[in-house]
Amino acid sequence: MNYLRLLTAFFWVSVAGEVAYRVNFFFQLFQSLVSLGIAVTGLSVIFSYADTLGGWSQDAVLALVGVYLFVGGFIGLIVQPGMEEFIESVHDGTLDFTLTKPEDAQLLVSIRRINIWSIIDIALGLGVLVYSLVRLGEQVGIGEAAEFLLVLTAGAVIIYSFFLILATLSFWFVRVENFLTIFQSMYEAGRWPVSLYPGWLRYGLTFVIPVAFATTVPAEALTGRLTWLTLVIAVALAVFLFITSRVFWRIGLRHYSGASA
Amino acid sequence: MKALLDLYTQQFKTTLATMVAYRASLLIWMLGQVLEPLVYLIVWSIVSNSSGGSIGGYATSQFAAYFLLLMLVNQVTYTWIMYEFEYRIREGLLSIALLKPVHPIHSDIANNLSSKLITTPFMILVALALVPVFHPSLPLVPWAIVLFFPALLLAFAIRFLLEWTLAQSAFWTTRVGAVNQVYFVLMLFLSGQFAPLTLLPFPVQVAAYVLPFRWIIAFPIELVSGRLTLNEAFIGLGAQAAWLLASYFLFRIVWRAGVKIYAAVGA
Amino acid sequence: MPAQSIHIKDLRKVYIVTQQETGAKATVKSLVRRRKQEIAAVDNISFDLAPGEIVGFLGPNGAGKTTTLKMLSGLLHPTSGEATVLGYVPWKREKSFLKQITLVMGQRNQLVWDIPAQNTFELNRAIYRIPAEDYRRMVAELTALLELGPLLHKPVRNLSLGERMKCEIAAALLHRPSVVFLDEPTIGLDVTMQRRIRAFIAEYNRRFEATVLLTSHYMADVEALCKRVVVIHRGKLLFDGELARLVQSFTEHKTIVVQIGDCQNDLASYGEVISCEGGRFTLRVPKDKTARITERLLADLPVIDLLVEDPPIEEVIERVFAQENP
Repeated sequence: MNYLRLLTAFFWVSVAGEVAYRVNFFFQLFQSLVSLGIAVTGLSVIFSYADTLGGWSQDAVLALVGVYLFVGGFIGLIVQPGMEEFIESVHDGTLDFTLTKPEDAQLLVSIRRINIWSIIDIALGLGVLVYSLVRLGEQVGIGEAAEFLLVLTAGAVIIYSFFLILATLSFWFVRVENFLTIFQSMYEAGRWPVSLYPGWLRYGLTFVIPVAFATTVPAEALTGRLTWLTLVIAVALAVFLFITSRVFWRIGLRHYSGASA
Repeated sequence: MKALLDLYTQQFKTTLATMVAYRASLLIWMLGQVLEPLVYLIVWSIVSNSSGGSIGGYATSQFAAYFLLLMLVNQVTYTWIMYEFEYRIREGLLSIALLKPVHPIHSDIANNLSSKLITTPFMILVALALVPVFHPSLPLVPWAIVLFFPALLLAFAIRFLLEWTLAQSAFWTTRVGAVNQVYFVLMLFLSGQFAPLTLLPFPVQVAAYVLPFRWIIAFPIELVSGRLTLNEAFIGLGAQAAWLLASYFLFRIVWRAGVKIYAAVGA
Repeated sequence: MPAQSIHIKDLRKVYIVTQQETGAKATVKSLVRRRKQEIAAVDNISFDLAPGEIVGFLGPNGAGKTTTLKMLSGLLHPTSGEATVLGYVPWKREKSFLKQITLVMGQRNQLVWDIPAQNTFELNRAIYRIPAEDYRRMVAELTALLELGPLLHKPVRNLSLGERMKCEIAAALLHRPSVVFLDEPTIGLDVTMQRRIRAFIAEYNRRFEATVLLTSHYMADVEALCKRVVVIHRGKLLFDGELARLVQSFTEHKTIVVQIGDCQNDLASYGEVISCEGGRFTLRVPKDKTARITERLLADLPVIDLLVEDPPIEEVIERVFAQENP
């Protein structure tokens, strides 16, 4: 599998690059643990005043935090670094090097930079997930697990395509990095169930900046809240965005190389 | 004195131009500033509603008022120097600043104030726009409103000095990010950004009162919300003044030590 | 393999730029309607390269050199005209085409910054699917030719500019491309390093029979490597032929360097005095009068030494471009 081979090659390059900075590991670990600490402390204060939050039990919200960390780690591992570097390369001309390589440019650009320390977030998220699942006990069965994997994958595809669409804008606009920062700010809101938010905010966090599909929807699946409608929308949106982002990318590339429309 | 005024005027023009050039990032930053208190507002409102309309002395509408005020107080007292200081040292900009006959903090003050002249009106507009959405309730206590402004000013001064001092940790470590993060955690819980302080466990409240954090954010909000007696208000202002003095001395000491280290290592 | 390695015919690349004049009134007007102007970065050029040729591509900044290279490497679509490289249409960017070419740009890195160059080599190996044996052999050859030995295991950011350039070039040639595009490869390097890289390019061309198209500011690059030069200015081809002929046809002057005792004399009657230093005069004289003036100098003055030279090529090129200026 060609993709796998390339991915492995880029992965080891990234590892080599980071290993030189060993102290980064402890620094990252510290940061991730502090993040986790904030989330858990906040939860315990809130749940000292109420048993459920908009219908979500403390363990359910904890599961959400786990998904939040896990998906956040995935974004930080491979989605964001590649897109950030791509945006830079459009402006400093190093994109030309990528374009003279005999591999699909979108693929190269997507896997070119891997921030391996985000693995810590992925691991922590997984840990929190498992812990909260144990506490949720029999509420989670095979059906929920399968749905979870499905919408989690859909969520990952949605996030990736969303980032790609934003990054592709740098073929036309300068300073697109700002748009990536929007996602960062909005993603914070994904620590809580999106269903808690008033209509307009919920809509924004679902369809404008798809934070909901990254965090709340997979957590819904895991805690048995997922409706068929949501599942279908998630999968359909994933397919749609993946295709759209690819088409938009090719349009951007043609624009960059001055092809007639 | 005139030179200082000149400096501030020039800095204002520079800041204005920079902000226009970076208006997109600015907008996005403000979006983030609004979103965080908004999320806590919503979460606490839900908890309050599901517990019969109020918890810990705060009704849902009072939560709304608290967090909308939080947006404004946070905006007015905000500084970003902790993010920049390490960059300045690395890029040699600090050396350039040290060559000038004016303390570097002045251009930071000027920059901070100039940018707030522009962003604060926006924030006020946003907060006003959210009023019909969240229905906050705020009693109108005249003396409280009057005392709010000196409290706000003191809060800003304390926060600025403290964070400027904190930023100088860059003289001693490259792991400034870790230092900042610890500070942010303390701020989040102890200054009232996560929840009104009276909702937190008692030991945490004590810590918040003893440390400067309460006086930076929570105190002005509690004051203008009419939750304090006149006595408490004056004692609070006194506490702020004391912390301002303490912050100033801390700032002087740390700066002198920092510059010594910087000069020893070589610019 | 087609007869010509690179074939270019009537290649044209036009950019549309908006005009912006200064002044308040013009700025306001430009908010409503922008005046657009067409600029031909490359204006109907044609030339061919045979396999194994090294050709120098000369021109001042903005002449269209880089634009042409980008079209030939598939990065840019032309506005009109045709070009084929190794029989492929470059901007179709077919994988089999990309595997046979390479583009090296001076002052732009494809090496990953924080890690040893060796790692970027491995990356390219994966991308170009170079078989293990070929890869090993190529790395060994390149290491020997470029003296890369100790450099490969140092992080790229710790290398000097010259060392980095050597590694960049090596990384670009691992897949043994048969067409090499070099865009200002020696820019910013010291004289020794420039010479080494020139020697390497000549050796690579010889050993692997690669076609090389090289753009440069430095006449020394071109003099050392290229028998044939193509001169471009404002998008148009001014000259295509041997370097020696370029000098011959575009100059009506020669330079006489004559050494006498001191600079006291005024030699203006013999020719245009360019400079004098310690008795060493540099004169510019019309080509057809060179012999006569030399006679006169030798007869009239106590000449210690006399040298007749072609004017420096930089000067020639400047004049070539100056001809285009109204």
